[in-house]
Amino acid sequence: MNKIFNPNKSKIYFDQYLFISISLLSIMGLLFLYSASQGNTETIIKQSLFVVFGLILMFVLSQPDPDFYKNNALFFLILSIILIFLTMLFGKEVNGAQRWLDLGFFTLQASEIIKIALPVFLAAYLYDKPLPINLFQTFITLVLILTIVNLIRVQPDLGTSLVILVAGLYILFLAGLSWRFIGISFGIFILSLPFIWNNFLEPFQRQRILTLLDPSADPYGSGWNITQSKIAIGSGGLEGKGYQMGSQAHLDFLPETETDFIFSVIAEEFGFIGVCILVSLFIFILLRCLYLALNARDRFCRLTIGGLSLLFISTVFINLAMVVGIIPVVGMPLPFISKGGSSLLSFYIAFGIIISMATHKKLMQR
Amino acid sequence: MIDLKERYSEKKHFFRRLILICTFFGALFLYLLFKTFSLQISSYTDYELAALKNKTREVLIQPRRGIIYDRTGEIIVNNVPSYNLILNPSQITDLNNLLLEIQTIINLNDSDILYVKENFKIRSKLNRELILKRNLTKEEIARFEVRKYRFPNSYIAERYSRENLFPYLFSHSVGYVGNLNDDSLQEILSLQDLSLKETIFKYSNGFLSGKTGIENVYDQELRGFFGKKIYEVDASGRLLKEIDTIPAIDGKDIHTSLDLKSQQVAFRELKNRRGSVVAVDISDGAIVTYLSSPSFSVNKIANGLSQNDFNELIEDKNKPFFDRAAQGRYSPASTIKPAIGLFGLENNIIDWDFTIDDPGYFELPEDGRIYRGWKKGGHGKINLQDAIIESSNTFFFSLAYKSEIEELIKHLSYFGFGRNVCLDCFLPDNGLLPNPAWKMNTLNFGWFKGDTVNLGVGQGYMSATPLQLAYYSAFIANKGALNKFSFVQDDKTLPKDVFYSGNIDDKDWEKIHKSMIGVIEQPKGTAGRLRELKDYIIAAKSGTVELVSTDTKEDYKIIREEEAKRDHAIIVAFGPMPNPKYAVSVVIENGESGGSVAGPVAIEVLNSLLDYE
Repeated sequence: MNKIFNPNKSKIYFDQYLFISISLLSIMGLLFLYSASQGNTETIIKQSLFVVFGLILMFVLSQPDPDFYKNNALFFLILSIILIFLTMLFGKEVNGAQRWLDLGFFTLQASEIIKIALPVFLAAYLYDKPLPINLFQTFITLVLILTIVNLIRVQPDLGTSLVILVAGLYILFLAGLSWRFIGISFGIFILSLPFIWNNFLEPFQRQRILTLLDPSADPYGSGWNITQSKIAIGSGGLEGKGYQMGSQAHLDFLPETETDFIFSVIAEEFGFIGVCILVSLFIFILLRCLYLALNARDRFCRLTIGGLSLLFISTVFINLAMVVGIIPVVGMPLPFISKGGSSLLSFYIAFGIIISMATHKKLMQR
Repeated sequence: MIDLKERYSEKKHFFRRLILICTFFGALFLYLLFKTFSLQISSYTDYELAALKNKTREVLIQPRRGIIYDRTGEIIVNNVPSYNLILNPSQITDLNNLLLEIQTIINLNDSDILYVKENFKIRSKLNRELILKRNLTKEEIARFEVRKYRFPNSYIAERYSRENLFPYLFSHSVGYVGNLNDDSLQEILSLQDLSLKETIFKYSNGFLSGKTGIENVYDQELRGFFGKKIYEVDASGRLLKEIDTIPAIDGKDIHTSLDLKSQQVAFRELKNRRGSVVAVDISDGAIVTYLSSPSFSVNKIANGLSQNDFNELIEDKNKPFFDRAAQGRYSPASTIKPAIGLFGLENNIIDWDFTIDDPGYFELPEDGRIYRGWKKGGHGKINLQDAIIESSNTFFFSLAYKSEIEELIKHLSYFGFGRNVCLDCFLPDNGLLPNPAWKMNTLNFGWFKGDTVNLGVGQGYMSATPLQLAYYSAFIANKGALNKFSFVQDDKTLPKDVFYSGNIDDKDWEKIHKSMIGVIEQPKGTAGRLRELKDYIIAAKSGTVELVSTDTKEDYKIIREEEAKRDHAIIVAFGPMPNPKYAVSVVIENGESGGSVAGPVAIEVLNSLLDYE
């Protein structure tokens, strides 16, 4: 198909803005991680391999025509659901959570795959439905979203399930969910909060929410992480303490410096200036994606780009909001920065798909 | 296929929703940046401090306590080093093996090993030292030192213990140290803006503070100032590196005016009888001899006493803990007579030529009550000088009878009675100088003329401590001017008490001295037996404190069957005359005779102080 629509046979699908900003983030991420891991070269080498592999993967995934993703969306979704079930059956348990599937060479976090597959599927499903979508389709999609969200939640992985939930909702929202429906659902949600609190949250999750409200209640126990994170960030000041000079990070006061709390390390060592630069970069990527979504060739592409980019920015926001103490502590890595396998790769995959959606044009449209 | 118009409207719809989402995230990120701003910029100082507090750990360094010297530079209390074997657990991989190896050269008992094994892990984790064995013997130290190379992670460190080199001589004057409770420690540390924390000890016994005597009164000077080491620590509290050291400032050495030699003499002469010896340098009020007997070993107290030993001390009926010199209350008895005589002169009630006829008793005109003298038949016609020499009670009864009580009290307080005469004594008692108001308030009885009469011979309600008696003696020796007593003179200006008088001049003082010399030197003197004990002239006044009032010698013989009812023996003395240097007071409980029992002790102490031994 490419050949038909493109005069240039060897056309390369590529968005330099996204590619450069993501590469920049990845390189910065490696530097940050080097500091956060106390100069652990093994970690850095592993992470570098993931970054290089991820960038290549992103490039490769941006080459197929969006139709490829549209046509295979259901397959990908089913595949990832199977992976989720496999994880539930054979998964490796770490810290009381069963989230990883050991593939020998790689431990796969299936929830990271379904995080991509679900929005793509939803976009594909809604591709040819008349807009705004009717109640039946809304119901079908909501049931699908909530089912998958619940599968992830019981692992338990509240963070990822939350991100999947909002990503699904973004798609529905962008697809033109009626305001009345949104209003009523929101009302029901608020009313059912006590029920959710009592039945859907694990005790430790409840504790985390309570801790957010008053970390000083137990500063050496449940409040330790957030207290130390705030000290790290606050003591960074305007200019930061300097690269690898963060005492909070380097003397082990900060927990999970390589993953969830890597932003605290950055804020401690690079200060408010560093924070602003990093946040600008994330915002730039979001705006570029939304611009691309607006100019994408069809509804499937628009919804996919919108859904995936909002998934991305939600992940960023949840991570940052968590470490500065706006929301409770949930396991949530900072995209392209935190150490990780599946979670890191998932965003290269997402952006590969985004670039594919954005760069493939239909002749008809011109 | 969807037509173009529909496509356009859908796109517009999509755009509007995107704008909404952008606004939503714009708001979220603005809030996030605001929150970060408030952490990093607005509350920066708080968090910077918090981070600093996180990563630093202060460890206190205990200062070395000052040494206490006598006036000749002899050390009384010293810090005696003891040696402990210390391990550095964080560097040790095989503890059991190390312990086995050390056991081949140093004898370890089970409790040492148990302690080390129990604490090894945590100490290792925190990078702290661990004491394996305290108080190594010289042989153990030698055996370890030659094999030191085999034990790179263990070493011998010096720790002090506080030791009084003359533990029985200075029990009450120098006192002893003990452990600090947390509250007092907190108080001490807060003076230096420090808080209670881990400490590098210089003493095996930990925190020390003076509990009694000079150790207590000069605690602050002796103590010094805590230093501190500031370490960088990680979250688990492990010491990583030393950032800064503020060295401890060792306590000041204290040079007291105490005289070891005279102290030894006093101790020897008292022979553990219940009593007290206080001697002072009259030129500056420096206390040179200070003994309360019986005494106890301060080292035993300071270094931990078994409950049995402690109970024994507490239950001892001779009350070794009781500081008789500063807290024992005794009637001054006849020793008061020179002061009463001076009152008579000052107020023109008598002069040196005034005489009375002493029939051996004084009859109170109001009610005919009889106040007896010690000598049956009396002293006959007698003047002030002889009344002092022979210790005529009648003379002073009648003199006191003519005295106005409030005036007399005021007069006596000049001589140190009823008030604190010492600047740095530990908990001195003020004794009791009674007056009508006191009697009314405490005994609910009005003041009788007879009370004043009794005061004339130092009996009745009045009581004084040996310290006050020594002061009284020195005050007369120095002719009515005296520095307040002290153990440490250094560079402080000592306050001076001066007796301002309209009628008493130098001649009167000399006559008083002469009278008191007569107590020993005159054949009629009450302490004539002391004459042979010395090669120089001493002024003195002895006293015998009646614990039970008896009218006849026969009655006394009955009551003296019980030792506790026997009279106390008291003497105040000063010399050498005519230019006295030292004044002394000696009290021996139930010693019966001031002149012949307390007197020799006073003479021996003066001999020692004046190098006449």
